[in-house]
Amino acid sequence: MGGKVTCTLGEVKQRADFIIYWGGNPAECHPRHFTKYTIMQKSRFLPRGRKDRTMVLVDIRETKSAKAADIFLQIRPGKDFELITILRALIKGQPVADEQIAETGLSRAVVDDLIARMKRAKFGCMFFGMGLSMTRGKHMNSAALLCLAAEMNAFTKFVAMPMRGHGNVTGADVIMRWQTGFPFGISFNRGYPRYNPGEFSTVDVLVRGDCDAAFIIGADPGATMPQPAIDHLARIPTIVLDPHVTHTSRIARVHITTAPQGIAAPGTAYRMDELPMPLKPALKSPYPSDEEVVRRINEAIARKPFWLPDGRQPQMVATLG
Amino acid sequence: MIRITGGKVYDPANGIDGEIKDLCIDDHGKFVASVSGGRTIDATGMIIFPGGVDVHTHVAGGAINFARAMTPEDHRRTQAFMRTKTRRSGLGGMAPTTFATGYLYAGMGWTTVNEAAVPVLSARHTHEELADIPIVDKASLTLMANNEIMLDLLEQGEFERAKQVVAWYLWAAKSYGIKAVSPGGVAAWKWGKDAKQLTSPIAGYDKLTPGDIVTQLARICDEMGLPHPMHLHCNNLGAPGNIATTLDTLKHLEGRRAHIAHSQYHAYGGDGWDTMRSETTQLAEYFNTHPGITTDAGAVVFGDTVTITADGPWQHLLYKLTGRKWGNLDVENETGCGIVPYTYRPSNLVNAVQWACGLELLLLIRDPWQVFLSTDHPNGGCFWRYPEIIQLLMNADVRKECLQKIPDRIKSSMVLPEITREYTLSEIAVAMSAGPARALGLKEKGNLGLGCDADLVIYESDPDVLKMFGHPRYVIKAGEVVIEDGDIREAPQGKEFLVKPAYDPATDEFMRPLFEDHYTMSFENYPVEFERLEHPELRDCIPVTER
Amino acid sequence: MSLQVIENATCTFCGCVCDDIQLHHDDMRIHKANHACVLGTAWFLNHTAEKKYPVALVDGREATLDEAIEAAATHLHAADMPLVYGMSNTTCEAQKQCVALADQLGGLLDSHTSL
Repeated sequence: MGGKVTCTLGEVKQRADFIIYWGGNPAECHPRHFTKYTIMQKSRFLPRGRKDRTMVLVDIRETKSAKAADIFLQIRPGKDFELITILRALIKGQPVADEQIAETGLSRAVVDDLIARMKRAKFGCMFFGMGLSMTRGKHMNSAALLCLAAEMNAFTKFVAMPMRGHGNVTGADVIMRWQTGFPFGISFNRGYPRYNPGEFSTVDVLVRGDCDAAFIIGADPGATMPQPAIDHLARIPTIVLDPHVTHTSRIARVHITTAPQGIAAPGTAYRMDELPMPLKPALKSPYPSDEEVVRRINEAIARKPFWLPDGRQPQMVATLG
Repeated sequence: MIRITGGKVYDPANGIDGEIKDLCIDDHGKFVASVSGGRTIDATGMIIFPGGVDVHTHVAGGAINFARAMTPEDHRRTQAFMRTKTRRSGLGGMAPTTFATGYLYAGMGWTTVNEAAVPVLSARHTHEELADIPIVDKASLTLMANNEIMLDLLEQGEFERAKQVVAWYLWAAKSYGIKAVSPGGVAAWKWGKDAKQLTSPIAGYDKLTPGDIVTQLARICDEMGLPHPMHLHCNNLGAPGNIATTLDTLKHLEGRRAHIAHSQYHAYGGDGWDTMRSETTQLAEYFNTHPGITTDAGAVVFGDTVTITADGPWQHLLYKLTGRKWGNLDVENETGCGIVPYTYRPSNLVNAVQWACGLELLLLIRDPWQVFLSTDHPNGGCFWRYPEIIQLLMNADVRKECLQKIPDRIKSSMVLPEITREYTLSEIAVAMSAGPARALGLKEKGNLGLGCDADLVIYESDPDVLKMFGHPRYVIKAGEVVIEDGDIREAPQGKEFLVKPAYDPATDEFMRPLFEDHYTMSFENYPVEFERLEHPELRDCIPVTER
Repeated sequence: MSLQVIENATCTFCGCVCDDIQLHHDDMRIHKANHACVLGTAWFLNHTAEKKYPVALVDGREATLDEAIEAAATHLHAADMPLVYGMSNTTCEAQKQCVALADQLGGLLDSHTSL
């Protein structure tokens, strides 16, 4: 169990004749997803484009994306995990009681029809959004959906992909993986990377009051995080890099204005399918780039005394057994 | 400047087999006849090899980075590299972080690595990762045998055009050569299928067979004059009875240069998982009678690892067999990859046969210039376990000990128990350095001659081969002492090799409409900018007929 | 004054990272972002090359870049458990520097993903 069966967006454009959006509202949050990558595209394998594809939207409310869907499945809030689990059972022919299906807000006939369509597809793709990954069940929901996609490969080609938002968050994920082995939630306090979401993830750290300084870049936790987390940011020295003076800047000890990426700062950003795209800034900013500022902070810290005078850190553990 | 005195030098590229000889290195990191001043290293009683060259490894890019994400439990238990004032932290293990990859390779005396599978679409990402692998020099190979635009051209019989397009892609990727993975098989996997027969048309094509792709792509590599021949992962990897496919593939290559990747995975007899047996004798015989073709072992070592390959259908099978995590990433138009964590066990027939096959090929192929040390990292095992394989090659008694762990019923499925050959130090130097360097067309690597790159490793002579090769006394990279007495002294940035094969400038306009049909990014943004590469080194392409 | 045009520019507003945007701009602002969606258009048109904010603020007062960098370095170096967080709206090149920063500090490193 576990893992991820996925593809780049061009595979969806080329081949996907069956597309499910689950807990996402691309029409409003990723407006060009339909037209550039998925249902509206024509391809050599799907020459009639939209007519050759079926789109299903699974969500707890009828968003604008429902208009684009062939089938809209409105499920009860917090029942995503249950529905995915039922689908995983039913595709394998395992028995599921009517009451269990009814609990999700769907009828057996609707679920059976969905399964028949999934199995009939030549190439199925499930995109999942924050309506799945950030609601009751959270990462368990994502894991269940990824399992469903993997298991569908016993019948036909099937893949799944998260609808990542927040600009270049995918780039952060990819880079942290190659430089530290882990995608987020990392501590270097033993001199090498360790991973423990819940312990080292930011909201938890801030709410517990575990950190004694914060460096915030490309995010505005002062506008999005729970109040106890914001209170802690205000208590400790907080440093903010942002093109705007943000909510977080106002409680920070240091704010540095930087050039916005892709508009005035060059570089690279990763698409949600982990392909890197070069940035082509149009404007010359009066402000320095994030890269330049962080590099200069790194250099300034490097000039200060290191942990041990001989250039090492105090070692608790050299090799783990 | 460095002078190394009194060491016993093994430099097979120059026919030097254990001579006591001084070596001098100038300030440009090259071997020279003499130096005045600088550091002197007294290597009396020590053994000197050219730095190791890995002809086939997976250390950077989307696939290994996917594997890193899938194995956090391994990162926790593995070797940790502490941050120092001058050096980044890192983690070793099954899928090491980039920084740790450089430390681990250099730590056992390897100074050049070839990343063997890069989709053009993730080439930009791969180069960024390669730039974060310190110390070693690097090259990368572009995946081409499932590229649909190229396959369409071959189907239409447009060989010349296909050649231009391949050259265009290579330059777009800024890579060093061409990798063919299971020709046609990954394209078929896009519909959940595979291509196992060399002479049957590929799913979605009327005429084109895997055999056609093998032959024509090898010809393209030769005519373009790539320094490294086509690097081929044959069809039907890992399957019992695949020896027939492998021999058939080799026949499709007659008259061409080729490097056969991880041949261990392609040397099995039997007709099912319970009848699988080694057929390395047949495969070795082919190499022994065809001196122009090279291979690397793709040896298996027992224990945990994570398997990653562009061979998507194989990984789906492995997931079904093991029930473990499964990662899959299909890349539009070009290729795909699959990732499954795996444990090789001596008590398991299939695993034991795989373990034996890798060693058998290394021992049965007589010329060490034809068969190189590799584990197809991390597929057969992690690269940092190479010293274990060296020990098994050099010491028949250690092999016997290992064979005792294998159930008797399995031993009849292998030939390893009958092999008595032991590698000499000189043969090891060929298999780990001089041979792969020559196969890669890197003349200044794996060679301690004047003017070559001063990449070398100095071992304390020790009857315990595992200790000797696992813990070099010094490693010198481009004339800089990077490892000394078990410590990383410096972590300099290495070079990256690439080629710029000539192509008709009209190829750009030919590609544009096809590209816009097949891809989702802008044509202009697709080629990796040359400026992105750190320390690039362009190599010439000389057509094989003009050499 | 005629506008300059950049072809195939990349929009980093959402995870689609569309790289086919045609930007029409002068020295100060982007006037048109062809092919961009409503969100992308707003993203491109709302950022300008104006100096709307001070270069830096230290303890609420305007400061030079050098002063702010030194203050940031001093706070982070003095901390026992500094946190490096965010990295969504920035480039990969800056993200690499952020990982190096957390590594050098022996601190915590986290992104939006953990939310």
